[in-house]
Order: sequence, then C-alpha cells, then structure tokens
Amino acid sequence: MFSRKFDKGVKTGGAILSAVAAVLFLVGYFGFRNSFADVGYRPEQPVPFSHKLHAGELKIHCQYCHAGVEKSAHSPVPTTQTCMNCHTVIKAESPKLQLVRDSYESGKPIEWIRIHKVPDYVHFNHSRHIRAQIDCKSCHGPIEEMGVVSQFKPLSMGWCLDCHRAPEKNIVGARPISGVFTNAMHKIEDLKKGAYLFTPIPAQVGTSTPITNPQFGGYHSEVPAVKVAGIPHPKKAGIGPENCSACHY
Amino acid sequence: MKLRFSHILLLGLGLGLAVLLVMLFTGQKTWFSTNTPIEIQPNLDLQFKAIPQSPNTFFADGKSLREPVEGSLARGTTTYPLGPGDIDAAETANVEPSDLPKNSEFVLARGQNRFNTFCSPCHYFDGVSENSAISKKGWAGIPNLTRSETAALSNARIFHIISAGQNLMPSYADKIDPIDRWAIIRYLRTLQKVEGVASNPIAAAAAKN
Ligand code: HEC
Repeated sequence: MFSRKFDKGVKTGGAILSAVAAVLFLVGYFGFRNSFADVGYRPEQPVPFSHKLHAGELKIHCQYCHAGVEKSAHSPVPTTQTCMNCHTVIKAESPKLQLVRDSYESGKPIEWIRIHKVPDYVHFNHSRHIRAQIDCKSCHGPIEEMGVVSQFKPLSMGWCLDCHRAPEKNIVGARPISGVFTNAMHKIEDLKKGAYLFTPIPAQVGTSTPITNPQFGGYHSEVPAVKVAGIPHPKKAGIGPENCSACHY
Repeated sequence: MKLRFSHILLLGLGLGLAVLLVMLFTGQKTWFSTNTPIEIQPNLDLQFKAIPQSPNTFFADGKSLREPVEGSLARGTTTYPLGPGDIDAAETANVEPSDLPKNSEFVLARGQNRFNTFCSPCHYFDGVSENSAISKKGWAGIPNLTRSETAALSNARIFHIISAGQNLMPSYADKIDPIDRWAIIRYLRTLQKVEGVASNPIAAAAAKN
C-alpha cells in the first residue's frame, strides 16, 4: 500500500522515537531518585573547612563542634565561637579564616550551605538516633575522609525504612571519634592509637516487640533504667517505627 | 563486512547508554556536583517555615533562630552566673549535686566520654596535654592536668574553670551541661590518680586506692 521508502521511514522513525522514550523514561524514573540526584552533592562552602584535617588528622570528635546533637532533634552547625575556641591562637592570621573572624566580630553567622536535607514534611530527630548508639557514619559516611563534605547516602524514605526494618544490617556501631556515649570505658592507651578511634564497636541491637496487635508499625524496645537524671542514657538500637506519624507529624 | 563510521558511532552510543543504565539501576553515582539537587516538587520539600539555623526572610536579621527574651532561658538550659575572675565566689557557689552517685562506673564512663570529646583536643586523652592536636599545632603552654598544682584545685574551682574559662581556655558552659561537668571532674580525678599511666583509668585508680 505504502511505498517502500515511506515504510522504511515509519519503521526507523518509530525505532528512534521509542528509543528516546525509553531513555527519557529511565532517566525520569531512576535519575531523580535521591540515590542518584542527591548523593554526591558537594557544594563549595564559604570557608574552606576540612573535616579530613580536623576529624581525620587532628581527631577532634564530631561532638566537639556538633555539640547538642544528643539532646536536640537538629544537629547544629557549630557557632563561630566554636571555631574561635582554637583559632584565636592557632592560625590566627590565616586569610582562609578571614570570614570566621569577621563573623566573630560582627556577630553575623557564616552562611554555610546545607548539604543534608530531608523534605520539610519529614521530622528527623538526631538525638533519638545518637542515644541508640548509632554512629554518625551510618548516615553521613566517612566524613573524616572528606576534604569537602558531600552527601553520601540517599536520605530517601526507602533508605530510612531499610534501616528501621533491619537495623543490624545497616547500622555502623558507635566509634570513639564521634563522641557518641556508649556507656563503655576506653583504655587510654587504646585512645592514643589512631585506628582505635575510627573502629566501630559492634552495633548493639536490642530486641523489639510490636506495640499493638495487629501492629501498625509501632515498636517497643528496651528502655534503659535512669541512673543519673540529666545524663542521656544510651539504649540499644531496635527496630525503628514504620508508622507514618513517626516521621510525618 | 566493512567497518563504517556509523558502526563505531552506534557502538560508542550503546556503550555509553549501558554505563548510564547500570549507574541508574544501581544508584551508584561516581561523580560529585556543586549544583543543588533537583527537587521535583519543591513547594512541599521547601516550605516557608522556621527551621533551626535556616535563613528566614520574615525576620529583619534574616535568621530563623530567635534570641531568647532578655532575662529568660530556654527550657532545660542553665547559665553560669560567675565571671572568670570570681574565684572565691566559685568555691562556695559550685556544689556537686548530691544525687550524683559515688563510685559509679556509669558516671565515670560519661565523664570520659565528655572529656574525650571536649577536653582532649587541648588536654589530650590522658590530661597531660603534651600530645594533643592543639599542642602539636603550636599552642604552647597548655597545662598538664595531672600535675600536682592542678590536682590540688578544688572540684568547685575546676567546675568554675570549665564553666567560665580561664585566661586563654574558653568557657564550655554552653556546650557541657552542669551534670556532665561534674562527671568530667570525677573522671579528671581518676586521671590525676593514675598520672597518665597508660591503662584503664578505672582499674588503675582502684588499684591505687
Ligand atoms: C581550646 C583548648 C582547651 C580546651 C578544649 C580545654 N582547655 Fe583546659 N586549659 C586550656 C588552657 C590554654 C589552659 C591554661 C589557662 C591559663 O593559662 O590559665 C587550661 C587550663 C585548664 C585547667 C587549669 C589547670 C591549672 O593547673 O591551672 C583545668 C582544670 C582545665 N583546663 C580543664 C579543662 C577541662 C576539664 C576541659 C574540658 C571541658 C578543658 N580544660 C578543655 C585549654 C583548653
């Protein structure tokens, strides 16, 4: 019915169109996932701060600067005061620290660029996870090896749930370098060894029981006895809640 | 068959596509980007509300975090009323809370944890300060906390030093809760007993008692 040429044109056109559609679909379907779109986000910060130097080489614990993470939902970006605890003396003239000194004098915060971000309708609570002795590395990756920090894990809902359902497979146990309180005494001679600080103690996973029957994603895990009021008591990580209102409230 | 340019082109395209597909499926991205990640539905992800430490166009100073009303404190926080110079007042003002259990390994472990976190950058893990990061970076004269002069300081005085700072040592009142400061002092005392002996401070202190 059609000419040979026309027939061929329709066939190649169709093939090209479907190939393009397939690629578009794949990129659209997978390419916007956090694991692809967000992982590797490495913005240039206003001050060239290096975690590799401060945590990796100098072995300053995570919580020295990110203090308060075991008490509050938000893990604070350190105040300029924190930098100046040491940099009043160390490298006090360095041009790289000019912004820090300016901020210290004027009281105007340094505008660090946020890397890790869950959507605003998700309420992630740092303190719960820190108190369950889950190391920072579980979600942030080996920060102490990063000269410039980049996002390491997708921080997507599926990724959260993977760990909530099978914590023992995903948690990195607390490492001394993070400053996560684990109730364990360390020997000083061990602490002096660099590698010891970065070695996780085995993740402590406790037993969890569903709260209701049938259960709607709520779990009950062992709660430690309060020994001293005001000191956060580390608990063992258990199965995390799966019900929507745990994070979306 | 003769190798034509179009064959090479197709082969190259096919290979590229295959690599892309593998990366897409496994989620293994191997490059970094300074560009803000794409938000498909940004108006839900980024809502106009005050999030800690985020910028905010609503307030004149551009910060979401508000300063507390003058004379008020955030719940669960304390201020340290004394200045670095009020040494005499500190002796009577700082009293160890009676509900801090004696000989408690839990308190010591907490003290060690906080000491390692906040004091070790300058005073090192053993309190001797010599090998600390900051000493190595050239801050000379960080005192050895296990020397007898420091061991002779009262608990109240050390609490005062942590809370208000002393000369070049900054104040840690905003970072360490009072109860944790007392735990640190407990731990510091065991460090002083072992005088930097490289071993388990609890066992060594117990052996000396
Ligand atoms: C930024 C570095 C730095 C940090 C961190 C630090 N200190 Fe100090 N510390 C100093 C310096 C410097 C001095 C000497 C102050 C002076 O010249 O009077 C000092 C002095 C002291 C003294 C008095 C010693 C003496 O014999 O006079 C005590 C006690 C002390 N520090 C305890 C601590 C404790 C406990 C911590 C942890 C909460 C801590 N320091 C954290 C730098 C630091």
